[in-house]
Amino acid sequence: MTLAIDKGEFVFLTGASGAGKSTLLKLIFCDEPATSGQLLLFGKNVAKIRPAAIPYVRRNIGVVFQDFKLLPQRTVAENVALPLEVRTLPDREIKKRVRALLRSVGLEHRGDKFPPSLSGGEQQRVAVARALAADPALLLADEPTGNLDPDRTLEVMDLLYGANARGTTVVVATHDRSLLERYKRRVVVLERGRLVSDGDSVRRAQSS
Amino acid sequence: MTFRPVYFTRRALAAMARGPYVALVGTATIFVAVFATGLLAAALGGAERVLQGWAGEVQISVYLAPGADLEAAARAARAVAPGREVEAVPAATALRRLAEALGEEARVLEGVGPGALPDALEVSAPGISLAGARELAARLGSVPGAAEVDYGNVWLEKLESFVARGKVAALVLFAALAVATAVLVSNTLRLAVFARREEIEIMKLVGATDGFVSAPFLIEGVLQGLLGAALAVLALLALHGVLVPRLQAAVALAGDLTLADTLPPPLVLALVAGGGAVGLLGSALSVARTLRRFQG
Repeated sequence: MTLAIDKGEFVFLTGASGAGKSTLLKLIFCDEPATSGQLLLFGKNVAKIRPAAIPYVRRNIGVVFQDFKLLPQRTVAENVALPLEVRTLPDREIKKRVRALLRSVGLEHRGDKFPPSLSGGEQQRVAVARALAADPALLLADEPTGNLDPDRTLEVMDLLYGANARGTTVVVATHDRSLLERYKRRVVVLERGRLVSDGDSVRRAQSS
Repeated sequence: MTFRPVYFTRRALAAMARGPYVALVGTATIFVAVFATGLLAAALGGAERVLQGWAGEVQISVYLAPGADLEAAARAARAVAPGREVEAVPAATALRRLAEALGEEARVLEGVGPGALPDALEVSAPGISLAGARELAARLGSVPGAAEVDYGNVWLEKLESFVARGKVAALVLFAALAVATAVLVSNTLRLAVFARREEIEIMKLVGATDGFVSAPFLIEGVLQGLLGAALAVLALLALHGVLVPRLQAAVALAGDLTLADTLPPPLVLALVAGGGAVGLLGSALSVARTLRRFQG
């Protein structure tokens, strides 16, 4: 497939289960090696990247997963701090940024709690805060609302939308048509690993 | 990667507190290896000290063949052992001394004629080492008429041979134990790494380098190694305190045995450093194996 996503865009990747949405995201954040072709990310071909360089590519990418992937034995604040610790920021700076991030996702009073004690919606907001912690240029979300009820879904989508409004490129993999209808953004439809439609509304995606 | 020892040590300690069982098994494994190696090294050190302590108590006896000229043999002995006191002991004198030594039991010698014992030369060699005594005995063997030379310390010969072989065995044992312990610790720490694979995966996903992920595990390995080795040294000190006084009561030669002979500071340092190194090696092996699985 050939697909180009511009800086600052908000793109939905959609398609049936097994269409290749998650695989495409994994290719982008180098969790899956590319067997052929080119994948240009920030001007670099990450399809042929050295393993030692992968961490530095990932530092420009925030990732949100359907199952949150939070560390249950670390507090909410510690989970959000993880990408900042990896960048070896000073402790004081990390604390300041974590406080601001938790405030931005409405969890400023939950910093010392452990993820299992939070609701699904709250856990996903923590995951979004973690993904945005290092101010990434690109935010990938793989079925970020798959485990959430409609109200919590809107909360999380609003956070992703807000990040995009501040300049972050956002790619959301979802098969939830209600999201595509609600947020009129570019929709890329995949089917068995091929791009079958690329348009600016869900109507176009449906007609393909 | 910027090295932040305090941060990584904090994380290593937190991980050990969360999984004390795994940390305990790793520490115990290293304890056993260091204790076994230290025990052998301490025993060898003590045996060497006993060998050195033996110097000065040697009396070499040269038994002469029947009909040999005692005075001529004594002169020859003085020539090959300059500076040593050489006493010519005729058979009759030897028998009388034996009777005196036996005291009330001297009855057993009734009917024994003076020719029952050979003429002999008694050579005193105070301050001589075991090797020196052996050399002197060989020289005395060339004295005219000498049938047998006895410096009466076969057990010391055996001890010396044991110490020499023990040194080689200690080296082999240490190398074997180091490898075995590193593998055991590696497998034990694999449990720790396995228990935290989710954490490793997530850290890698948010951009952690292999060095950043590995550092706490390596520190954990070193800490377990140092702790296990320190406990082993304490156990060896306790063992010294219990065993050495009993040994001194039983064997006069062990009278001068001190802690500096069995567990000298360089040995203690080597044991503790060795424990830390084995812990580091074991954790490095297990982390490397796990990281390969998460290689992006």
